[in-house]
Amino acid sequence: MIALDYSGSLSFSNLAQTRLLACKHPIYNLAMSIIEINHLSKSYRVYQKQEGVWASIRGLFRREYREVQAVRDISLQVEPGEFVAFLGPNGAGKTTTLKLLSGVINPDSGDCRVMGHVPWERENEYRRRFALVMGQKNQLWWDLPAAESFRLNQHIYAVPLDEFDRTRDELCEMLDVTHLLGQPVRELSLGERMKMELIAALLHSPEVLFLDEPTIGLDVVAQHKIQQFLKAYQEERKNTIVLTSHYMKDIQALCQRVVIIAQGSIFHDGSLDDIIDRFSGDKIVTLQIGGPDEVFQGLRKLPNVLEVEPPRIKFRIGRDDVARTLSDILSTYAVEDIVVEDPPIEEVIAKVFTDAQGGQVDDESHPDIAGVS
Amino acid sequence: MIQPSYLNVFLTFAKNSMIRDMSFRMNFILQCISSLSWAAMNYGLFLIIYQFSDSIGRQTGWGESEFFIFLGTIWIINSLIQTFFMANATEFSEMIRTGNLDFALLKPIDTQFLISFPRVNWAQLANAFLGLAVIIFYLHQLLNDPSKKMDFSIWSVFAYVFFVFCGTVVMYSVMIILASTSIWMGRNQNLHNFWFYITNFYRYPMEIYERGIGWALWGTFTFVVPILVVSNVPARVLAQPLGGHWGLWDWTLATMSVVAAAGSLWVSRCVFRVALKSYRSASS
Amino acid sequence: MDATHWYGRATLWWTFFQISINERLVYRIDFVIGTLMRFLPTLTQVFLWWAIFDAVSSAGSADSASGPDGKIAGYTFSGMIAYYLMVIISRAFSSMPGLTTGIANQVRNGEIKKFLIQPVDMIGCLLVQRVAHKLVYYLIAALPFALVFWMCGDFFVSGWPPPDVMFVFITSLLLSFLLGFYLESCIGLIAFWFLEVTSLTFIYMLLNFLLSGHMFPLELLPTKPIDLRGFVEFMPFKYLAYFPAAVFLGKVEGAEMWRGLVMEVMWVLFFILLSRWLWSRGVKRYSGFGG
Ligand SMILES: Nc1ncnc2c1ncn2[C@@H]1O[C@H](COP(=O)(O)OP(=O)(O)OP(=O)(O)O)[C@@H](O)[C@H]1O
Ligand SMILES: [Mg+2]
Repeated sequence: MIALDYSGSLSFSNLAQTRLLACKHPIYNLAMSIIEINHLSKSYRVYQKQEGVWASIRGLFRREYREVQAVRDISLQVEPGEFVAFLGPNGAGKTTTLKLLSGVINPDSGDCRVMGHVPWERENEYRRRFALVMGQKNQLWWDLPAAESFRLNQHIYAVPLDEFDRTRDELCEMLDVTHLLGQPVRELSLGERMKMELIAALLHSPEVLFLDEPTIGLDVVAQHKIQQFLKAYQEERKNTIVLTSHYMKDIQALCQRVVIIAQGSIFHDGSLDDIIDRFSGDKIVTLQIGGPDEVFQGLRKLPNVLEVEPPRIKFRIGRDDVARTLSDILSTYAVEDIVVEDPPIEEVIAKVFTDAQGGQVDDESHPDIAGVS
Repeated sequence: MIQPSYLNVFLTFAKNSMIRDMSFRMNFILQCISSLSWAAMNYGLFLIIYQFSDSIGRQTGWGESEFFIFLGTIWIINSLIQTFFMANATEFSEMIRTGNLDFALLKPIDTQFLISFPRVNWAQLANAFLGLAVIIFYLHQLLNDPSKKMDFSIWSVFAYVFFVFCGTVVMYSVMIILASTSIWMGRNQNLHNFWFYITNFYRYPMEIYERGIGWALWGTFTFVVPILVVSNVPARVLAQPLGGHWGLWDWTLATMSVVAAAGSLWVSRCVFRVALKSYRSASS
Repeated sequence: MDATHWYGRATLWWTFFQISINERLVYRIDFVIGTLMRFLPTLTQVFLWWAIFDAVSSAGSADSASGPDGKIAGYTFSGMIAYYLMVIISRAFSSMPGLTTGIANQVRNGEIKKFLIQPVDMIGCLLVQRVAHKLVYYLIAALPFALVFWMCGDFFVSGWPPPDVMFVFITSLLLSFLLGFYLESCIGLIAFWFLEVTSLTFIYMLLNFLLSGHMFPLELLPTKPIDLRGFVEFMPFKYLAYFPAAVFLGKVEGAEMWRGLVMEVMWVLFFILLSRWLWSRGVKRYSGFGG
């Protein structure tokens, strides 16, 4: 990967330019990755609460703990300007990884650099250059209009006033929330609030952005709006974004690279197409066939028929069999139309998740009692 | 290096809190009334006590006027703490529990500063004014009483303000230390109680502890957790229970006050920093 | 009502009781420290009153074995301290931390709907919950309490009271639990009409602190210019702290004691009825608004 070719992209808005100066940090010239994670691990000790009154009373004096390995030995590199998605089942450790990257929690072992900084040292120089947005939480002042929270961020991040006004107006316009700036946050809808959260996080033009489920709980339109916004924003500023989401639409629309995390480890790292290639051996074939209904009787007997709705039939076949089966069918039936497609991405991902968890089930079913205190 | 302006951030906090308070006006007024009534009740208790006795402790000099200056000082310090820190310390415990501390940790500004000031509870300032009024009234009485040999000048006022400031710093530090412990304890439901219990000791002139096992308390709360110094030093500066002349003991106490302020602030920062290391956020 | 109905109810409440106990036991360090801390204010009270009695006593008596010899409003120094210790016992029964605000918050954020939908009675549930909390509290607090009272035994100059007084004392404690519970529930239920109950609770706490005898023995209250002393006799508050303590210490005796007990029962009944009434009116109003 190359050091960001900023000279070629100076035609972006003024804003992007102001930030470019800040980006002339040594590390960019060294052609290093912007995020470097080496063997990062984090486990939580959780108190095992027993059922029942007596158990509770015993718990007063003796407690049993269990280790939850939230992140195990993750290594990963992200290059400047990448848009990476973390994908994984609930409890996989995505949020924990993002928290480690943003220095909110300390790891047990391993090493990590973001823009050359160790996140959990929490240097101000580092904290000024990234942002974390968490879909399930809000950081705006609940009883005040969002504009006041923005103003506070301006002071905290020491954003020059004119730059702040410009960024805010531009972002508000892009997300279409200018008219809501004066309304107390508690009176905003979830989608509106999420947009405000995004703006609050972007006011200081972070070079690295961590988004943890930014579209959670939003309707299709709002989701789409946020996707579009993020896409436009990233294309314009070329900043590095790491996103987690359970909506495949988000990931399809935005990320070139998908990192699948399951049970704290990286299970796959590559593009979405790679995933389909690697994990789905099947194709879905839809045929439109002319002729009487009787011809379908024969086709019904094919294995893996998904649905028959004359004159259309849909079935699934192994990728390697596609050519052979199709040529057989073409020679036998009066085929009017053929569509060969990949199975729906959600299905593939579901399979990946089951695979990923299948590999390590025994780990989960024998929680080791880590100790008593 | 660009530095955030701490003053601007603080002013924004103060302003935002004001906007908030004003949008819940009824609540604001009720809060003022209730904290004023607590103070009034406290006052009533000692009015009753002074019906039966003319001093607290024998030959301590804490007669009625002197003691009410002491009480006024307590109100001022308490009210400053409640205005600026109490809600924030509670909120801090809550942030630890809910994992919302995450956001504070992200900001490029001193984290302790950021969690110490966001809410300014303006309604609580009412008691500071009440304390001031009480102090002025009784100081006036003392100054017009020829039997008291008061030594009062503008410097007394400066010294008083300075020592009240030192005292507030000590109390603030104690509070932050208490609040930080909720990182280890999960939920610090007792923060308020702890606070109430600890402040219990500094509400009376330190002379009352000077007997029996009281000496142990006296020593602990003067030198280890120096909260007796917090209230006693400024109150003695103004009320001068034993006359205007500063003896060796007064100087010792005054020095203690300054040392305590600096020392406790430093300890609070250490505890805060160590506590943050154990912060584990909350899942989801 | 048939038997299965009652059986169902009993098991429901038993489950609820267990959950409440469990919930309480989770925060253990908090709990033990909290219990011990409870005695700290009394410690300062001891020294404050010591200093005050010192000033009204004859010279030299302060450091004698029996403490200063002066009297204030009929209390000797030991009597005063014994009073404060007994008030802690009363309060261990009658204080209901968080009850009012808990109810008010449930009303405010709509959690109360749960009780309108499910066939359980909110006040009943809360009562079971409180009983559980109190029991856990006594379980853990018994030891520190015993320790403190053993150490302070000297302040109780007249020793244990006779059995009939003991009976009234214990009954009045149990009643003070009910009184505290229903009184605070009623205040919490005002949230149906007036959302800012939290500030109201502060004022209630204040009245309670002053008029229940928590702050000082009610004998100290002035009779002039307004007769506060006479006024508290007609208030429910004194049964929350003063009355049990005064019974134990023999400050109220004979017919007066029994009359007090009857009054306490009346107050409990009054607040039970009042809470029922407030609840039904409040719910009606609440559903009228559509939540
Ligand atoms: N603060 C915490 N204390 C204890 N355990 C935690 C904590 N945070 C996370 N965990 C545990 O660590 C594991 C990983 O959690 P994490 O929040 O990272 O998952 P996730 O991938 O973000 O899942 P989701 O998709 O559901 O958001 C889970 O098993 C969770 O229970
Ligand atoms: Mg997550």
